[in-house]
This record gives sequence, C-alpha cells and structure tokens, in this order.
Amino acid sequence: MRFLDLLRSAFSNLRRRKLRSFLTIFAVVIGASLVSLLVSLGVGTQEFISAQIRATMPPDVVLVASDQDTFEIGLGGIGFGGSPREVSHGEGSRFSFEPLTLEHIGNVAGLKHVDRWDPYVVLRVDSVRLQGSEKRFQTRVRALPEYQVKATELVAGTYVTDQSQWECIIANQYLDSFGFEQAEDALGQEVVVEVSKITSFAGLPGEPKDYSFKIVGVTARTLRSTQILIPIENGKEIARFWIGDDDWYTDKIPPPMIQVRVDDSRYVNQVAQEVKDLDLGAFTADDALGTLGNIFTTINAVLSAFGLIVLGVASLGIINTLVMAIYERTREIGVMKAVGASRGTIRLLFTAEGVIIGFLGGIIGVGIGYALGLAINRISHATFLKDFETFNISTFPWWLIVGVIAVSTMVALAAALYPAHRASRLDPIEALRYE
Amino acid sequence: MIELHDVWRLYPMGGETINALAGIDLNVSQGEFITIVGPSGSGKSTLLNIIGGLDTPTMGRIEVDGQDLSKASDRELSLYRNKKVGFIFQTFNLQPTYTALENVSLPLVFAKVPSWRRKRIAGKVMETVELSDRLRHKPNQLSGGERQRVAIARALVNEPKILLADEPTGNLDSNTGEQIMELLTRLNKERGITLLLVTHDLKTAGYADRMLRMRDGQIAEAVDRRQVL
Repeated sequence: MRFLDLLRSAFSNLRRRKLRSFLTIFAVVIGASLVSLLVSLGVGTQEFISAQIRATMPPDVVLVASDQDTFEIGLGGIGFGGSPREVSHGEGSRFSFEPLTLEHIGNVAGLKHVDRWDPYVVLRVDSVRLQGSEKRFQTRVRALPEYQVKATELVAGTYVTDQSQWECIIANQYLDSFGFEQAEDALGQEVVVEVSKITSFAGLPGEPKDYSFKIVGVTARTLRSTQILIPIENGKEIARFWIGDDDWYTDKIPPPMIQVRVDDSRYVNQVAQEVKDLDLGAFTADDALGTLGNIFTTINAVLSAFGLIVLGVASLGIINTLVMAIYERTREIGVMKAVGASRGTIRLLFTAEGVIIGFLGGIIGVGIGYALGLAINRISHATFLKDFETFNISTFPWWLIVGVIAVSTMVALAAALYPAHRASRLDPIEALRYE
Repeated sequence: MIELHDVWRLYPMGGETINALAGIDLNVSQGEFITIVGPSGSGKSTLLNIIGGLDTPTMGRIEVDGQDLSKASDRELSLYRNKKVGFIFQTFNLQPTYTALENVSLPLVFAKVPSWRRKRIAGKVMETVELSDRLRHKPNQLSGGERQRVAIARALVNEPKILLADEPTGNLDSNTGEQIMELLTRLNKERGITLLLVTHDLKTAGYADRMLRMRDGQIAEAVDRRQVL
C-alpha cells in the first residue's frame, strides 16, 4: 500500500466516526497542552535565572585565581548551592588571597583560545546618591571591561567603554530611588559614590572619599537591582584608595583574580581545565549554574511527568477507539484481506490511525499550550512581573514544540500497536462471515 | 494449473475435530469452468477458500500455477490473492462508504498502483461489466445485480487467472442470476479465466464444463459434461 493511500484511508476512517475521533484526539490535546505549558513555564523561569547568573558570569569568561577556594571568598562565599565547605581556623575571616604572579598571568594569557584578560576588580563602596541630594542608597559598583558591559541590556542611553572616564550605567531600579519619571531623564545626571578605606571596617578612622560619575545608560530591569557599572580603569583607581595601596592593579602587585575571555564559548571548559592544569583555580558560568541547572532539570522532569500521565490516560482512549473500530470493520478487514491486504498492511492501517490521532493531538495541544503561555505572559507582565518586561515566564523553544508533538505521536503509536496487531490477526474467513 | 494432492482441512470444534476437507485430490486446467455442489457443511466453501489462499490445508499439498500455497507465507499469500485470484461472494461484500469505482479500485490500492492509474483501470473494468454509468454510485444506490457486477469488476481488476465465486447468484432473483451467470460464462470463454463456482442450484451448475459433487469433505462424484455429451 502506498504511503499516500495509507494516509487517505486512515483519515477517511477517522472522519467516519467524527465525534468519537474528536473526543479521542481531544484527550491527547489536553495532555499535550499540559506538558507543553508546564515545561514552557519551567524553561522560562530557568532562562530567567540563568540570564541573571550570566549577567555576573558571562558564558565566554573564565575567572582565574591562585587556587579554587578564592572564588568562594571573592564571590561572597554564597556557595552556589553546594554543601558548606569545612574551613580551617581563621580562614573564614581572612580576606587576603594568595596573589597571582605575573608569570601565572603570562601563562594563562598564552593559552590557546584565550582572547584577552582583565583584572577582576573587587570593590566595596558605602553608598550612592544623586548629585545634590542627601538620600544615600546601598549599591554594588562593578568595574567591567567593555565587552562584559555590552552583555547587559539597556532601556536608555549608551554603554560605557574601555575609554570612558567617570561615566556609569545605573540599574533600572535607581530611577525610582532617585525620582526619575523616565529613564531618559536620568541621562546626563551625576551620581556620587562614597567609598571608605578598607581599614575603617576594622574600626580605624578613615575619611570617606566621593567619586562622581555621569549617568550615560540605564539597564533593563534585572534581579541585580543595586548594580552600577563603571569603566574598569575607574574601578582600579577606587580599589587602590579602598585598599590603601597605590600599587594595586599595577605590575607591582598583580590582581588576585583575573577574568579571561575565550574566543569561543565552546572552548570555555577546555580553557578552564588548562588553567587548572597550571595548578591555578578556574571558575566558569557552568560552575555558577551547576547545581541550579540540576534543580531546574528536576523541576522540568516533574512537570513533564504530570502531563505525561494525562497523555498516558489519553492513550487508553486511543486503544478503546481502535478496538471498537476493529469490531465495526471486521467484515471490511475480511474483504481487504481477500483482495490482497497482508497482515502487515492491516497492521499499518490501524497504526496509522493511532499515529494521526497522536500527531494531530500533539500539534493542537502545543498550539493551545502556546496560546495559554502567551496569555500567562500578558497577565504576568500586567501584574506581578510588571518590572520585568523582557522576561517571559512561559517560553517555547523549538525543541519543546517538536518534542511534545513527537512524544504525543510516540505515545499514540504505542497505544495503537495492540489494536493493530489484533486487527492483523483476524481470520479472513471468520471476518467475511461476521455480521 | 490448480493441483490438490490429498488435501485435508481439520477444524477443532468443542472437543471434536471436524473434517471440512478429507483427502481431496483435484486437477484443474487453465480455462476450465467447474461448479462445486453439495449440501451445506460438505466442504465446498473450504475448498474454495483453500484454492483462493484465504485458508491453508492442515495436511496435503496445493499448487497453483507452480506456486506451493501450503508453504507460502502471509505476504506471499496476500500477493497471490491480490494478483492471481478474484473472489466473488454471495453477499457481494462491497464497502458501503465507497463508490462503485472505489470498490473496484480496492485491489489496486494493495497492488500499490497510483491513484490516477487506478481510476483508468477500474473504469475500463466497469465497462466490461457494463456499469460505466454507475461509477459514482454507492452500493445502496445499486440493484442487487448491479452490486454483484461491481463485485465481479473488483475481482477482475488485477486481471487474475482464476475467479472463485461462492454462490454468486444466491441473493439474486433468477432472471438477474442468469445475467450474472452469462457474464461469468462469457469471461470464462472469451478470456480463458479459470472459473470455480460453488452453488446448490443445479441449473447454475449446468453452465460448467465439470461438476463436482461434495459430501463430508470429499468429492463424491465428478461429472464431466464434455464427456457426457
């Protein structure tokens, strides 16, 4: 039997019992839309969180320090989801790291696929305020090379460059704090960053110093609601004051941590391994995402499981529909066998009907899931996600669309196997006598 | 052309075994017209089904056109049913949802003939059975005789060498029955199609070259009309 005739015949058989076919397909539709919607929510949330982490740790960057522990301390020791590590006496309060040497840096910079390196400037500032205002706000100033600044999405203005001097980009949330109606209003205004020397944390006296920056850009809403991005050279200068040593971030005292840019993010893990082979510490976006990625994989699996259960129930409907069809078409099967249909052909005919039910159900289901996802995005943007216009809580990557249609089809195919087998085994003589 | 050697067909029924065929020996040559008569349960239909490849013998050998059907696989048997034989039933067995032309085309579908050629071939065969004006009719829009002619067209569409008819006139009035018999006889004479026909109507049996009378799964009597005359 030709493929086209197979399809034609399967479709015309489904059309013969319209209501029953519709109900059977509908059950698949519910399953498919549930799977696709739930997974799309999981994916959307995961992408959002990942994007936030990537904003700190771009995918093409490897952080390099003298040993692996440095990252725990230098990045704030939040642990990134791992178990709390045992520390030696006094280590937890230690701030100084084993510094990198110029030789280390030279070796790392000479690795294949390493495009450039910049110091990772560690900074701690007291507050930020708008020029002319006495209202101080907490802030996290990040001194970044231009290529990393450009990974941040802006709603207004331009990026600071490696050549910029005393310019900054402020987090969107500061617009409210500073009292700007619109992002454009903030452009050209000055903010003052107040810095105290590191020794003042230990209670020693120290006069804070003010650094003024002109606002040239405003970021989109992200979870990093207190960040201010400044050019890396200005960051070095502030850091030298903060530490109280003018040799920091010069050749005399190399940075304790550097960030290495890899020419293609595919080689990031390879470069990280080569850094570790040099007996240094390396940290990548994968490390930052590590445990979090596993959590989302689990959440997505659980969400898919719910939908798969519904699809499983729908497959019972498919079995029922096809077994009923065997009874109705017994004589027809007998005739088909008498005029030359083999067991294989009969099996194929019934399997095709099941596959079509699954395929149509999958397509319609993904369509409905997609529409519901759009609706949820609309509603969420109007309500609890008002601050994150760029974030879609329901996200449909191509693999989800293809995957759900494929899974629905496969489940239906599996459900059709038994009825198809049974139809193919009908004795043609009995079937022709069947009333 | 058709050779049966000591063919048995046993059916388990309850605790007993029924001998539907009990050692049949039969030779049919190309172009012969044979009728099979006998009381119901004598094994007429079973014999026809075994020759048609719908059933296989429990014991014995059947060879058609050099092909050993007793050893054939399902795939070989379905190909055989598709190409070598055509079935005609008492109850016509047309698909009620198909048009006459679609019913006639059905064997071509399983012969993997593309749709546009199917229409041409089936249309030609409908001419042979003189139903060119009924192509788009559904079976319930046709008379009994017309339905049987559609069924005959379906049996002929792959140009088989053998036609197997199981009481083809059983559901028709005698006038229509005669027309059907004339059509079948004509196909046998003009095209040399071997025709095996089960009937219990002796008048119908009179059309044949040879008449086999069956009883209890055996051929009780064989009358060769050509020798008698």
